[in-house]
Amino acid sequence: MEILQDPVFLSRLQFAVTAMFHILWPLTTVGLSLILVIFEALWLKTGDIDNYRHARFWGKLFLLNFSVGVISGLPMEFEFGTNWSSFAMMAGEFFGNILGFEGAMAFMLEAGFLGIMLFGWQRVPPVIHLLASCMVALGASLSAFWILVANSWMQTPAGIHLENNRVVVDNYFEAIFNKDMPWGVLHMWFACLATSLFVIGGLSAWYVLHRRNTDFFLKSFKLAVLGVIFVVPIQLSLGHGSGHEVFVTQPAKGAAIEAHWTTNQAGEGAAWNLLAWPNQTAQKNVWAIAIPNGLSVLMTGDPHGQIQGLSSFPKANQPPAIALIFYSFRIMVVIGVAFFGLMVWTSVAWLKGQLSSVAIGNRRWLLRAWIAAIPLGYLASECGWIVREVGRQPWVIYGLLRTRDAASTLPASVVAVSLAAFIVIYSILLISFLFFAARIIRKGPDLTLLPPSRSIT
Amino acid sequence: MDTEIHTLLANIWFFIIGLMLFLYIVLDGFDLGVGILSLFTRKDDHRTIMMKSLEGIWDANETWLVLLGGALFGAFPPVFAISLQSLYIPIMVMLFALTFRGVAFEFSHYAQNKALWNLAFGYCSLLASLAQGFVISGLIDGLNIIEGNYQGTAWGWFTPFSILVTLMVVTGYTLMGTTYLMIKTDGAIQRVSIRQSYVAAVLEIVILGVVIIWASRFNLYFADLWADNVTGYSLNFFFISAVFAFVMLMRALRNGFELTAFFWSVIVFLASFTAVTIDNYPFMIPASIELTDAASSSKTLIFMLSGIGFLMPVMLIYSGYQYLVFRGKVHIG
Repeated sequence: MEILQDPVFLSRLQFAVTAMFHILWPLTTVGLSLILVIFEALWLKTGDIDNYRHARFWGKLFLLNFSVGVISGLPMEFEFGTNWSSFAMMAGEFFGNILGFEGAMAFMLEAGFLGIMLFGWQRVPPVIHLLASCMVALGASLSAFWILVANSWMQTPAGIHLENNRVVVDNYFEAIFNKDMPWGVLHMWFACLATSLFVIGGLSAWYVLHRRNTDFFLKSFKLAVLGVIFVVPIQLSLGHGSGHEVFVTQPAKGAAIEAHWTTNQAGEGAAWNLLAWPNQTAQKNVWAIAIPNGLSVLMTGDPHGQIQGLSSFPKANQPPAIALIFYSFRIMVVIGVAFFGLMVWTSVAWLKGQLSSVAIGNRRWLLRAWIAAIPLGYLASECGWIVREVGRQPWVIYGLLRTRDAASTLPASVVAVSLAAFIVIYSILLISFLFFAARIIRKGPDLTLLPPSRSIT
Repeated sequence: MDTEIHTLLANIWFFIIGLMLFLYIVLDGFDLGVGILSLFTRKDDHRTIMMKSLEGIWDANETWLVLLGGALFGAFPPVFAISLQSLYIPIMVMLFALTFRGVAFEFSHYAQNKALWNLAFGYCSLLASLAQGFVISGLIDGLNIIEGNYQGTAWGWFTPFSILVTLMVVTGYTLMGTTYLMIKTDGAIQRVSIRQSYVAAVLEIVILGVVIIWASRFNLYFADLWADNVTGYSLNFFFISAVFAFVMLMRALRNGFELTAFFWSVIVFLASFTAVTIDNYPFMIPASIELTDAASSSKTLIFMLSGIGFLMPVMLIYSGYQYLVFRGKVHIG
């Protein structure tokens, strides 16, 4: 395979592997850390020991998740230098700086307070412990914030000029609050919340379905349902808003998402392809199931609104792998809609009083649907990132630096070996994680656990 | 005026990054050292105690590396880019080893077959230390860089001199690990740690001597510095400091002063380390990239200073608080 002798392609593949692996963990840690704070605060406020036990039980899964997340983040930072040294040299002034901020503010909060949060129950007073939990949650969210600031600046660079091929920042406010930033940060943050809520809800549903500690897990199930009612509608509208924004800031990516090849003439509408098979060589779809004028209505509100087609961009500026972008986007949207459906279904059941510990046993399909939803948040987020990153190609910094020009000069063999090593190591980690997580889940919570004695306060 | 401010800012960041490097190699140094030492014991309960002594602190220690990477990337982008690219192999090996090590540490809590994960933890600690040794020696040995481009091969970091420096780094980490264990343990395992401290300290001083003799004979760049009055003076100063700290360490070990032993072992390592690195200034990679050329614009350096720089004391305080919370001897159960 010729493509495997191309060090730039191998570097891209390696970055994709490390990024797609890494993103799995923050998806749950960002949300789960907030849920742990809620349980702990509820315990301190109401004195209900079950909330304490919830915090301890989910805390175990959190720790397992967190460790892999922190550790798998480290290689990514260094890959910018090892594999993308021209990018690092050019953009370091802003991009590296933001990664430094992420490290300083967020990472130290997490790493600094995590030990107290997880092992300090007996060592510090409850209030200090709650503070540590809050700091960990804040750190996780700040971390997501800074990473998305850096990434959104690559999507819509602003506030800089180039000097001797190096980025020089003119205005930090403009660079940080670039056009894509609010969408990127919020859409990802809510993705983390939604994924965590469906994980907690789904696992609780599993226990309820198997009649294990029904009353205990109904508490976490209902908390998850409440969270979902709040989070899912917001996430759907954020998704819609981001999609809108893409057509303004990165029209080629927008056209790729919808496999829209030819710009519609004045007086005609652009069709919205529900399903299609794009052929990039021919610059058209082999087949498509489309709603006439649909895209124009969705994006401009006018049935004849003009939407720029992919063919109007030079081939060298078109994203590759249109089918990958097109279908990743659709999988993400379908999952979002499915989440919404599950939310409505569960809310109706709740209103009918079917979520009580007696009645829930009869809603087996509802519980099964929640269990099935556990991996969907992860899948949707991975698809979203594929759309975001592959859709930005052939640019690494949109309109400024091409991916091909950003890479280090490295022999293909060296990159191939490191790529293979990442795949092997990450596979071992993922399998071991699933194995240990399954063991924690099968073992279940310790319902005899008592809170730390008051003597230490 | 502008260039003066820029030079000042570049120097401030050189200092901050130096401080981060210092914190990282001391904190993760003893941490990795404990990992290496865990390979030397056959007793499972000893290994358990050794690993337990790192609980709650190892990830914070490693965080300094993340911070170091980010700060270097932002403040001196070309240094970050060129050194990582040219040291691709040892950097990747370090990342693999640190990744697997960290996960092995956490997973060993859950595993029924702990021995396997513990072993993985030990070997990955060794591998990470070796890789860091080669990264450090690659940087001080001077990568072949012309006009901002690395000219060497992917194996340019692998030389007889770099092997020597690597041995020095690994021994230094191990030495700090033994004295850290003296603080955290008691009984039989502490006696073992004291014995190991003697061995590691002697090895460290011998290797430092060999490195310096070798360098002044065979490494032209280094020999020039040695001949130069000012830098030769600082070399001598750090070498003598290392020997002095070694003597103090021996005394502390004989008297069983735990904290003092750890302190002097850190000084032995740092003095040795500094003796072979300090003379690079004002070059960030010897003879190729100068500090002020590599630095980002003054605006960025100020922006970073107002964020990361001012957070440094805060970070120091709460990681210190963490050590306070987890102070005391470690026991099983």
